[in-house]
Amino acid sequence: MTAAPKTQPSSSGNQVSAAASRDDLTYGDIVWSQFVKNRMAVLSLWVIALLVVVAVFAPIVASDRPFVWTEGGESSYPWIASLFDRNVYISPVDIFFNLVMVAALPIAGVLVLWWRRVQASGLSKRARRRKLRSGIAVACFGMVAGFVFLLANPSSAEYRNFQREIDKATDAAEKDPSVVVPEAAFPLIPYSPRTQGFGSVEKPSATHWIGTDQGTRDVGVRLIFGTRVALTVGVIAVAIYVFIGILLGATAGFFGGRIDLIIQRMIEIMMSVPSFFVILTVVAFVDKPTIFHIMVILGLIRWTGVARLVRGEFLKLRKQEFVTAAMALGYKRRRIIFEQILPNALGPVLVAAAFGVASCILVEATLSFLGLGDLTVPSWGQTIKEGYATGAWHLILAPGFCIFLTVSALNLVGEGLRDALDPKLRQ
Amino acid sequence: MFLYILKRILLMVPTFLAVSLILFVLLNLAPGDPAAQALASGDANSGQSTQTGQKRESYRLFKEQFNLDKPVLFNTRFALERSDIETTLSDILQLRGEVGMGRRMDAYSEIEDWGWYAIPGLVAILSDEGADLSMRGLASDRLISAGQRPLINPTNRRPNAEERAQNKVTARSNLAIQGWSFSADAPPERVSEVVTFWQAWKAERAGSWEYSGAEKARIFFTDTRFAKYWGNLARLDFGVSHRDKEPVLKTVASKLKYSITLGFCSVVLMYLISVPLGIWSAVRRNSVADRIVSTLLFMMYSLPSFFVGVVLLNFLSRGTPLQIFPTGGFESIDTSSLTTLEYLADVCWHLVLPMFCMGYAGLAALSRYARTGLLDVIRSDYVRTARAKGLPEGVVIIKHAARNGMIPILTLLATLLPTIIGGGVVVETVFGIPGIGRFMFESIVGRDYNAVMAILLISCSLTLVGMLLSDLSYAIVDPRISFD
Repeated sequence: MTAAPKTQPSSSGNQVSAAASRDDLTYGDIVWSQFVKNRMAVLSLWVIALLVVVAVFAPIVASDRPFVWTEGGESSYPWIASLFDRNVYISPVDIFFNLVMVAALPIAGVLVLWWRRVQASGLSKRARRRKLRSGIAVACFGMVAGFVFLLANPSSAEYRNFQREIDKATDAAEKDPSVVVPEAAFPLIPYSPRTQGFGSVEKPSATHWIGTDQGTRDVGVRLIFGTRVALTVGVIAVAIYVFIGILLGATAGFFGGRIDLIIQRMIEIMMSVPSFFVILTVVAFVDKPTIFHIMVILGLIRWTGVARLVRGEFLKLRKQEFVTAAMALGYKRRRIIFEQILPNALGPVLVAAAFGVASCILVEATLSFLGLGDLTVPSWGQTIKEGYATGAWHLILAPGFCIFLTVSALNLVGEGLRDALDPKLRQ
Repeated sequence: MFLYILKRILLMVPTFLAVSLILFVLLNLAPGDPAAQALASGDANSGQSTQTGQKRESYRLFKEQFNLDKPVLFNTRFALERSDIETTLSDILQLRGEVGMGRRMDAYSEIEDWGWYAIPGLVAILSDEGADLSMRGLASDRLISAGQRPLINPTNRRPNAEERAQNKVTARSNLAIQGWSFSADAPPERVSEVVTFWQAWKAERAGSWEYSGAEKARIFFTDTRFAKYWGNLARLDFGVSHRDKEPVLKTVASKLKYSITLGFCSVVLMYLISVPLGIWSAVRRNSVADRIVSTLLFMMYSLPSFFVGVVLLNFLSRGTPLQIFPTGGFESIDTSSLTTLEYLADVCWHLVLPMFCMGYAGLAALSRYARTGLLDVIRSDYVRTARAKGLPEGVVIIKHAARNGMIPILTLLATLLPTIIGGGVVVETVFGIPGIGRFMFESIVGRDYNAVMAILLISCSLTLVGMLLSDLSYAIVDPRISFD
């Protein structure tokens, strides 16, 4: 493999000659090389990665199911068995993350092996990238298919309280030495977010690292599982509105004329809707709001920003030579829009999405704080609400720190991305 | 300029209409029954079940009063056939096999909501000798409910003589049809007696149920929730609240002083701090101090306001560890003995924490705008000229650069207009200030459609006005921009 020729970063005039070679730097490479120069942004990216890992592997750290349960000489594995059990993990969010937890490592392993082979095949960089992208897409599709299958076939076993069984057996063993106490290997924190009965609003201690809440539950576990909720709400809501925004913005910008006028009116109308009030109202009026309601409402209301961005980019780009060239080549309109123009318009959308995830997480936390959130899942806002009601510091500061960490990391990544995309700031 | 403003204002009308339509449909199609909720909370009459007698009647009256018995957007009830009514009645009576409880309740509401439009069908079923006797009995029972005419303005506590006379007539005719029903085990004489009564009653009002094309069109579009609501809205009547039966607009107006004080003060404070801060950090750009301030502001920006509010409240007012500020409210409980000055001080003392809470996130954003605004102009030629003239640096920055650099942040002011009124749901809830935000929240939780709708629409029109003002302020502060 020959060394890739360096592109001249200062002038855009050299791009043509650079593009002539096959292993040139893509636009993404340039942006990425700018991005990694921003230390805070890279650190924030690591923080987000850490949060994702915590969200995915939460049950390994905290679960009230023991990994191994030995009773009367027989061993069973309740932790594994509980992962897709709708009696233990009520919310589909948990089921999804558990699926990711189980499937992530094998899938990643297969992908890495496959990638090694692709790399050795001597294809050009762009072709390899394309292959990688399709490989990841297949993996994601498989994951979603598995999730849908799990949702369609819910499994539920009889609910057992292992901790109490041990306590009972221990009590019995004191009176009658012949009773054998079952042996169990619990995770580091042997509670689930729904395990109750510890005493109300206890201060942090050795057994409950961040204390307990009003519902006599362990706060630490709830914060760990709250990561799942926060990330899901942020990512899905943003995915919905980015999708709508791109669709409408691209249509308006590409076709112009009357279509543009109509879509612009739609944007104007949606912009004058007081969005937070409407979100509040709809969530309150739905009988039992789940976080899926919150996501969908957020997604349906907040698309105007992305639509305007994409429309602007399309207006700018559709007059450029490469679009004219694509038209002259007789490409279909769909191909021009999605394969030629859209990739060039995605940068600002990515920035908006990073900020959007942060703000959607804030909205969800606010809704939960006001008592309008989903009560079946642990949410950081709920815990702060209890802190507000009781004045207990551990119920205020711990979830507040979680929100702060997540939101500021996302904002910093967004900011870093924006600076990296800005050609004026290129170093 | 004038033409441009006129054009923009005219464009606002369809936008406002569209927004109100969207909001109205959203609110009315959301699951959940506000009438049942209001009754369940013991609002209308006492009693346990919403299903029986008196309670059911007050439920019907409640729906009628707030037009909740009408269809949301289009009314096709003039085309109701006897068979439609038969289907619904047989669902209630479970004549065609087992029907779920939910459907039976819905069917009951359905026939109730049809009201006057269902009368021809009901009378036809009642008079049909071949029909099931229990269904005929139910039809007579439903006729009593459907034949009721609504009173004018029942919540008005001081009706004028004309209204009172009219309501008396209506009440008398409503009373006259009470009791004209029979149960499934009634003797044939009673049945024929009731049937004759209703047939006569209907004959008296012959023609009431024959609709011409124009009438059908009128009913289709205007006898609906949305049309009724808009009819009232055109007269600036936002309706009365479900909860206290007071006009919504009056309540909102009475809450206005709290929210405006809070919002206005925090916006002023925000600008007073953020503009100098932005200028300062732009002048010292990339210094250590600038970096520290920027980072701090950025962190503030990432903290949710409810969290900051709770922390401040706990730390400074609740005595863990300090007890400096009051724990909530807009003013002290007893303010009668205070002089005006003391009262002002009292209010200010109460508003320190809420104001900070409302302003700090905006503070971060605004000072960033101010910083970039100044950085944009500080390298321009006229600033260099000013320096070259030998002007002191302070004059160059304040008089020459800042004046132009602050244009974007000034025009931002107009877009904050709706925030002044409604930005405080969270802050007002945390600090217990009885402003519009809190009223909104309480109305939402209590499903007070009229109140929620009113605040949404007011907030929407303020957004529209804010957008216009911000566009206009560009032209005012920057003479190079013109709309003509």
